[in-house]
Amino acid sequence: MAAAAAFREGIRRVNHAPVVVAGMFAVTLLVSLPLAYALETMIADHLGSSLAAESLATGTNYDWWQEFSAQATGLGTTFLATISGFAAVLNNLSGFLDHAPLAATIIGVTAAWMVLWSFLSGGVIDRFARARRTRSHGFFGACGMHFWRLLRLAAIAWIVYAILFQFVHRWILSDTYSWLTRDLTAERTGFAVRLAGYAIFGALLIACNIVFDYARIRIVVEDRRSAIAAVLAGARFVRRHAAGVLGLYGLNAVAFLVLLVVYALVAPGAPRSGVSMWAALVLGELYIVGRHYLKLLFYASETAFFQGALAHAAYTAAPVPVWPDSPAAEMIANADRTVTS
Amino acid sequence: MFGRSTALVALLIASGAAINVAPQAPSSAAAVTAPAVAPRSPRNASYAITARLDPASRTISGNEIVTWRNTSNIAADALRFHLYYNAWRNTASTWMRERRLSGRAPEKEYEPSDWGWIDVTNIRVIGVDGSAGDLTSQLRFIAPDDGNTADRTVAEVPLTRAIGPGETVNVQIAWSAHVPRTFARTGAVGNFFFIAQWFPKIGVLENSGWNCHQFHVSTEFFADFGIYDVRLTVPRGWIVGATGVERDRRDEADGTTTHHYYQEDVHDFAWTTSPDLVERRATFEHPSLPRADLRLLLQKEHVGQAERHFEAARAALKYYGEWFGPYPYGHLTIVDPAWQSAADGMEYPTLITAGTSWLQPSHTEDPEDVTVHEAGHQFWYGIVATNEFENAWMDEGINTFATARVMQERFAPTYTLKRYFGGFIPYRLLDFPRTRERDGDRLGNYRTGAKGDAQSTPSWQYWPGTAGSITYDKTALWLHTLERMLGWDVLQRILSTYFMRFQFKHPKPQDFFDVAGEVSGRDLTWFFDQVYRSSNVFDYGVETLRSETDSVEGFVDKSPPGTTPRVELKQVLYRTQVVVRRYGEGIFPVDVRVVFENKEEVRWHWDGRDRWKMFEVEKPVRAAFAQVDPDRVLLLDVRYTNNSFTLEPQSARAARKWSLAWLIWLQDHLLTYGFFV
Repeated sequence: MAAAAAFREGIRRVNHAPVVVAGMFAVTLLVSLPLAYALETMIADHLGSSLAAESLATGTNYDWWQEFSAQATGLGTTFLATISGFAAVLNNLSGFLDHAPLAATIIGVTAAWMVLWSFLSGGVIDRFARARRTRSHGFFGACGMHFWRLLRLAAIAWIVYAILFQFVHRWILSDTYSWLTRDLTAERTGFAVRLAGYAIFGALLIACNIVFDYARIRIVVEDRRSAIAAVLAGARFVRRHAAGVLGLYGLNAVAFLVLLVVYALVAPGAPRSGVSMWAALVLGELYIVGRHYLKLLFYASETAFFQGALAHAAYTAAPVPVWPDSPAAEMIANADRTVTS
Repeated sequence: MFGRSTALVALLIASGAAINVAPQAPSSAAAVTAPAVAPRSPRNASYAITARLDPASRTISGNEIVTWRNTSNIAADALRFHLYYNAWRNTASTWMRERRLSGRAPEKEYEPSDWGWIDVTNIRVIGVDGSAGDLTSQLRFIAPDDGNTADRTVAEVPLTRAIGPGETVNVQIAWSAHVPRTFARTGAVGNFFFIAQWFPKIGVLENSGWNCHQFHVSTEFFADFGIYDVRLTVPRGWIVGATGVERDRRDEADGTTTHHYYQEDVHDFAWTTSPDLVERRATFEHPSLPRADLRLLLQKEHVGQAERHFEAARAALKYYGEWFGPYPYGHLTIVDPAWQSAADGMEYPTLITAGTSWLQPSHTEDPEDVTVHEAGHQFWYGIVATNEFENAWMDEGINTFATARVMQERFAPTYTLKRYFGGFIPYRLLDFPRTRERDGDRLGNYRTGAKGDAQSTPSWQYWPGTAGSITYDKTALWLHTLERMLGWDVLQRILSTYFMRFQFKHPKPQDFFDVAGEVSGRDLTWFFDQVYRSSNVFDYGVETLRSETDSVEGFVDKSPPGTTPRVELKQVLYRTQVVVRRYGEGIFPVDVRVVFENKEEVRWHWDGRDRWKMFEVEKPVRAAFAQVDPDRVLLLDVRYTNNSFTLEPQSARAARKWSLAWLIWLQDHLLTYGFFV
């Protein structure tokens, strides 16, 4: 299957699974809401009965913001002027690429969300691989069945990513970048060097990311137990289908950039009051839904691409004869039915 | 007494030639002794300098003749010189030690060529008869501030004969220096050189003795006025910008060019050179202020921002000229320093460095703010030459206040700018316009260092970690406060009187306070006691506000014996009580205001001395909110949120709105890190 076809197939599969999109969005929302509530309490406590709340309720109040930041701890330290509108997106992307330190509270919730997402990703990929409804018991059954395998894979991935960010990132974007730009006097040239650094680091990151993506898919689709073997199998698959894999990744990346551009154009700034406040919230959440959609599109299109590249059914690991069968086993069963009918 | 005759000049030249350094002393030092205009300043520390830069080895070899007149009432039996470049000789210098103390990590790892130093190779006093007394062997390093024997930023040389009050001495010094990779905005990166604090510079002799401090990390400089006649030899084709104006240039046989710069009535000389600078010129013209030629030396990648620099410089000269006094020099050179040169945002007489980025949206801080600020230093530092070692607030603080005023007058609105992806990609936060009072993060910065030091502490003794906030932010905030107390008209007259009275002099803090009291007609001692002589923090707040129908519990005599019972009033009265508190140690008189539901308001004036005070009023209407310092006169109040109290708080609404905005940020953050799963 060509990359474009896999991408289209991915869109089709995600479009046919709106509950999955909604469910994953709900998970992110539910993880975030308690923290938002905690922050709401912090802000309300700090404002107390102050008139500053009025200006803050209808617009912005940078003076108050600075005062709040000066005494903020934990979660409060993340409440910066850059959290609203498109600045929030830039802030997060830049922080990610530049390996900016995160507040401890945020690290905690991010880790928890990733574990939760890993748990659910088994069901999600299973759902997309089967390309049919699996119902909640099927979905969560797959989640449970694959969770520990995916968690082991996540542990391997964490080690690789930690090396990348702790050592390679510093080596490329700090040490080498500083060395290359040490005597540069033109910022433009410095920026070009920085972009090259991002490109090299990004390529490494994406290479690892692709391998782990297909390892994840192979764990689910082929009912693999071994995370290490899945990584090796993922790597083999990527090597053998490099053009298609990269093409598909590129299409997904372009889709992501399109979403960013659209949001940059329509993103509201700091929310006002009344209807405009709710409109800003709705717009923001629509963007978040879009991010979920694209994240799931990655899964779905890569799964479709992998399945499209399967040589024959025997290629899969032996399915365990317990319900739910792996998508590969189901595929075999379906194939049998096709033959007998 | 030594004379300043032509014969002496000839002797100086002759003796200069005797010192074995290249290049030779000025072929004509006549400019030093024949000023073009009537002296504006005492001109008691003049320099004729020749210097040659070798970019490849980053070395300067120099030769100077210092003509110094003792303007104090004591005799000088020794001379003291600043050798600032030695601050970066090694990590044992006071400057480097203080930098570590401040918690600031080194900007980079140092390579051998990064260090800077200056070595005096010969020093001699030229006698009236032309004799040259060689004092090189007697030169010694002293550390008058901290006794750090490893510090070599101040050198002393004893004189065979003391220089009495009013007498003049001529000293010839040969030196060699290594230009560091930029420290404290002087140095080199690539082929961009910004050379400041680079030559042996005589200290200031006051009636109490030498004022010649070591180089400290959080303070700048202090020197006497004079004439600078400087010849700079650099590779041919390299652009040079310097203090003063270029009088002539001469191509040398060895492929270099000597640029001759000259300036009167200044107290320092700095210069820049690079083959990559682009030159632009413009003028400042004003119906009632002197014309000034503006020369801009900027980076190629910033050519599109040339007019922004000029506009900012014009704005500074216009508003500072109108508010404080005219800019007298007739020319100003603006240097747009190279990327990574770390030379941006610095002032020298008639020469400033600005600072911008390749991607720099309009209506943001730079390059306008930095250009206005550094051009403004021509007034507060250049002309009113305060001692930056001891009273840094007198130039930096006043100038910071004035900069914010100009920015509001000429460039508002400007917005907060954030930079992403290694600092290259700018993003304007249009919902966060900068305000004059806040001027970026003045209050935020001050809040973090408010208790660091009393401002009256000599600046070089400030805790390095908070010196900036005490020097810049606190002063700007209390000047804004003073403006709100006295009105701009009065404050402007204070500043212009102070400027005109002390231009080309070295005023002390008390001079400023005296002018403030004199012009305002008020005794402001209490104010300066609070903001200048203490590190007290101001924090007033409304503790409670109650507005309830007046009812009395217990036993009440409704009709006292012997009186006619009064007709009972049907009107409902609200007793409104507001309790205000002084949470901080700082004392400042403030207004207390209660606004009622019908918009009516009651104001009280509180001297702000007690720890708390209750104000009461009865009205037939309920109070809506109360405020202490409702007009926000006291900009130094570190917690303004508690200055108001409303009976219908909106905090829940505000908190919900912003927590929902933050919710989207958090979700986006999670999905960004979702890359990993």
